[in-house]
Formats: sequence, C-alpha cells, structure tokens
Amino acid sequence: MGVLLELKDLTKAYDTYAVVDHLNLTINEGELRCLIGPNGAGKTTTMDLITGRQKLTGGKVIFDGREINGLKEHQIVRRGIGRKFQVPAVFRDLSVRENLEVAFNRTPNPFSNMLMFFNRTDKKRFDEIVELSGLGDRLDHKAGFLSHGETQWLEIGMVLTQNPRLLLMDEPTAGMTEQETLKTSEIFKRLKGAHTLVVVEHDMTFVREIAETISVLHLGKLLAEGPMHQVENDPKVREVYLGAEGISDAA
Amino acid sequence: MNGQSSNIYNDPKAQWFAYIVLFGVLALIPTFGTEPFQLRVFSSYAVYAMLAVSASMVWGFGGILSLGQGIPYGLAAYCMGATMQMQFQTPDDPIPSFMLTNELNELPSVWQPFWNTSVGLILALGVPTVVMVVFGFLMFQARLAGAFIAIMTLAMLNAFYSMAQDLQPFTAGFNGISPPNAFKAFGVEVDPYSSMLYWINLGVLALVTLGSKYMLQSKFGTLVRATRDDAERVRFLGYSVAYYQIVVFVFAGLIATLAGILWVMTQQYVSPTAFETPFSIYMVIWAAVGGRHSLFGAIVAAIVLNYLQTELADISDMWQKAWLLILGGIFIAVVLLLPRGLAGMFEYLMGFIKIGGRNSSSTRVSEN
Ligand SMILES: Nc1ncnc2c1ncn2[C@@H]1O[C@H](COP(=O)(O)OP(=O)(O)OP(=O)(O)O)[C@@H](O)[C@H]1O
Ligand SMILES: [Mg+2]
Repeated sequence: MGVLLELKDLTKAYDTYAVVDHLNLTINEGELRCLIGPNGAGKTTTMDLITGRQKLTGGKVIFDGREINGLKEHQIVRRGIGRKFQVPAVFRDLSVRENLEVAFNRTPNPFSNMLMFFNRTDKKRFDEIVELSGLGDRLDHKAGFLSHGETQWLEIGMVLTQNPRLLLMDEPTAGMTEQETLKTSEIFKRLKGAHTLVVVEHDMTFVREIAETISVLHLGKLLAEGPMHQVENDPKVREVYLGAEGISDAA
Repeated sequence: MNGQSSNIYNDPKAQWFAYIVLFGVLALIPTFGTEPFQLRVFSSYAVYAMLAVSASMVWGFGGILSLGQGIPYGLAAYCMGATMQMQFQTPDDPIPSFMLTNELNELPSVWQPFWNTSVGLILALGVPTVVMVVFGFLMFQARLAGAFIAIMTLAMLNAFYSMAQDLQPFTAGFNGISPPNAFKAFGVEVDPYSSMLYWINLGVLALVTLGSKYMLQSKFGTLVRATRDDAERVRFLGYSVAYYQIVVFVFAGLIATLAGILWVMTQQYVSPTAFETPFSIYMVIWAAVGGRHSLFGAIVAAIVLNYLQTELADISDMWQKAWLLILGGIFIAVVLLLPRGLAGMFEYLMGFIKIGGRNSSSTRVSEN
C-alpha cells in the first residue's frame, strides 16, 4: 500500500514560538492513524496546515505524491481530503437531509447547481450514510435541533458523503456520553480499511478501541509513534501525560 | 417545537400556489377601475417590491448584509433616464436642456450611446452588472463578511451619490433628469399611468420572484443558505464560497437593476435620491419586516409599508415627517418581537392547521 499523506518538516510558528515544530508524519493508504497529545500540542493546527486553513511557515505537505501547500481550502478538499472540525460544524438552519445534500459535491459550479435538485443525488450512497450515522428518523429535522452526539454523527456523515481519500477527524467523540462514544467507535470500525483516516482524540478508551498506529504529539513535535502497547509504556509519553500514571487514566 | 416540518407553510407546492394567488390578485387591480394616478402609485409599489426581493435574496438568504442595493438600482435608473431623454432629443436639438444651462455646447461622449434605445437598454442592464461583478469579486475574494460588507457597500453607495450630485453637466446634479416623454419601444409608448405599465412591472416582479424561488429550491439555493449558516463549512466541502457569494450578489443586483429601469419608466424621473443611504436601508427593512427568509413576506411588507407611508403623507406634513420614526419603530418591534418577520408569524399560525392524510415525514424543511 502506498503513501497517501506525507508531512515533511511541517512548521507553524507565531513569532519565534513554534506551535508545530518540524513535524514529520507519514500516513499510508487505508490506515487508521490516531493522533494524540495533551491540550495545545498542535493537533488541530496540524490539521489546519494540511487543509490550508492556516498558512505554514516551513516544510511541505505532500498528498498523493503532490505538494498541496499553497492551494486554497476548497481546492485541497477537491483533491480528496475531508475534515471534521473539533467544534462540530453543521448547517444549523438546514435540515439533516439538506446538510447531506450539500456535502454531496457532484459539481462545485454554481450554475450547474441551479439545475440540480435534491432527488437526483446518489440515492444508494445517501442511504448507506444515513444508515451508518443512524440519523434515518432525523432527516427532516433542522440540524440545529439535534443533540450534541447527533450533530457529531451528522458531521461525520457529511465528511463521508464527500467520499474523500483521506478523512481528518478532530475529536469525533468530544462531549459524547459513554453510550454515544460506543456507537461512534462502531462507526469507525466499519470505516477502517475502506478509508484512510487520521483521528485526533483525547478519549483513550475510544483510541484503544479503534487504533492501529498511534502518533503522540507534544509541543508541536512528534514524541512517539507505534502500536498502543508500545506507546503507552513509553516513559516519555508517560511523563507528559499526568506524570507517571500514564495515558490510560488521562481523558 | 422540534424543527420537523409537518407545517403546510413548508410545503413547496403550497408555496408555489401562494405565489400564483398573490400575483393573480395583484394583476386584477387595474380591472377595479382604479384611477390612473393611483395606478401609477401601485406601479411604483411593484418596483419597491422588487427591491425588497433583491434585499431578501442577498441578505435574507445569502447572509450578505448589503446596504448598497441602491448602486445597481441607481446606475440602471440613470442609464434609463439618459435613454429616455435621448428619445426626446432630435438631431436638430441634440443637447438636453440641463446641459445647456451647464454650458455644455456639445453632447458629451458618455451620452452618445443613448441615442440608440437598444444600446441604452443594454447599458442599463450591463453597467450595473459589471460594477456588481467587480465590486463583489473584490469583497468576497477578500472574505469580507458581516459588518464589513455593510460598511463597504455603504461607502460605495455614497461614492455614487456624490458622483451623481457633483457631475452636474452630465447628471443634472441635484435636480436629476426628467425625460419629458414616456418610454417608447417597438413603436409603442408606455404611458406611466396605464394598466400596461402596471402589468409590465408586476410581470417583471413575478418573473424575478419566481426565478429566485426556483433558484432557492435548487441545490444552488441550498448552498447559498448553507453559506449564510457557516461559510467555512461550505468551503471545507469543496466549494468556492466567494464564487457562490459573487453569483448571489450579482443576481440580487440584477433584480435591483430591473427595478431601476422600471422606476424611471414609471416616474419619468431619476435623481441622486436613488443613491441615498436611507433608501437602500429601507430595502433591508422591508425584507426584515416581511421575514428575511421569505420572498413572499418581503413583497407584502414592501407594499404595505409604502402604502402606509403614502397614506400618512396624505394626512398631513407632520405625519410625513414622522414616517422615519414610525418605520424605525416598526423595524425595532419586528426585530424584538418577530425575529422571523411577518412570514415567521404566519408560519407559526399555519402550524395549527392539520394537514389531513399527509405523511408528515415526506415533506421537508424548505424556506419560502
Ligand atoms: N493565533 C495564535 N497565536 C499564538 N498561538 C496560538 C495561536 N493559535 C493557536 N495558538 C497556540 O497553538 C498551540 C496549539 O494549538 P492547537 O489548537 O493546535 O492544539 P490542540 O493539540 O488541538 O489542542 P486541544 O487538544 O486543546 O484541541 C496552543 O498552545 C495554542 O495556544
Ligand atoms: Mg484541537
């Protein structure tokens, strides 16, 4: 399996203070990578740099063999990178159905979209995603009326609707109840293999449930990388996570 | 309230039906033996209604708080004024009288194209459109939003106002241009006091409203509303937000452009008042009072508020002067008590009506 995303010496600095500091990271096609690290480690910033939301101050982002830094956000998305935000971003004034409809980007051209109506969207794919996100009986509700967990699932559904080659998920279980987190890990297990995912998470139970390889970020640098058992016994990692107690208790 | 739509208000078929009824009823007005003078007043209301639809599209649905809808409106009006003025001039008497009093003894080159009515009409449509495309491009590429848009459009509007005032030899300044004759095309004279003009105005109003409605129900419309909600999210679904915003901005500008053309046909008059700040703010107020998410509401509010204004002005001078205060009061009351305007109140009332035999889950949330 080939390399899908490569970060080379990725750097973001405010004045002299580097928030992301010469970060090197390689994501292979089809893998599910968890990105963990304490608050302020630079996880969200890394995603911002990949997706063009923030301008990098050094290094390169190579996606599918081509450098993508410098492209506009929507151009990067069209190359095949989808993103779920840390603070769930859905269209609160639109129905759940309309949210998914908008996410289904058959053509980005406004004039072609004037001739496009809802029923012509890809029904099969739409149904699959509705089933996966469990929002079947919510389709005609305004997204603003959804519960927090449902909002997260809707956004995950929207990102999936885009059918991107790489999915970046920033804290998909944030604010979820235990029950909801469980359901979310079911969703992610089903995505595994079929999609390439980078998941930022604080909830270690969740990470343990879904992770293959884990990358630990601290102060903008890569601290450790490897499978769960290796990372959680790494003394450097144990140190940044609540002293010697290790990541198992940090959530 | 759970946001689900089982309300007939949200039924697209019922919405189209409501529009047909509205325009059907309005079309009957001249058949009631309405006086010509009164008819011309109604013709101007149709123009105001178009401006309300324009504001509703750009701000209500697009979330772009433009206080500059007077720009395309005024530019089109001046082009139309020039066209009608030149219809009156002859090769023996080629220079409009206001130019003579401003000591011009030759027709300025910017006025030359208006000799030809078709060219004049093309300019009336084209000039405002080009201005809106360029202006929109500059604003939306720079990702301006919210209050910054309001400030930029207002500044631009005022620049045009000053130009119309100051370029007196070309625009007749403060006095404005009053073409002596009604507009003529294809050998037909469009009498401002006629039912014909009323039906033309109403027809164009219906066309732009139903055209807008159609667009709002397409995926384009859903995207425009999505942009209003969260532009960043739209961007991260792979769409160029600026492109969509420019298109709505220009489209709403085109509606105001048509309104400007028809205004001059109706009033035989154009002056810098077309670029006045309060007038462009009125348009937004009409849309807000009607309900910013309803074209129907915007039309009704524009007609009712202008009717009120005319009636009050007829009572006494004092009432006319108090109008701004009254309108301000209505606006504040709506913002505080009915944030979704008259349409929102109507939607609430319609919610009490049960739709017999309809499977509510088959209807969908759809703004009017
Ligand atoms: N505009 C800015 N100027 C200076 N520092 C900033 C700016 N924006 C973010 N930072 C800093 O960058 C660091 C990384 O932030 P980031 O949001 O990437 O962390 P994170 O790993 O996603 O944390 P969390 O787990 O809390 O979401 C933080 O220390 C933050 O204070
Ligand atoms: Mg973060």
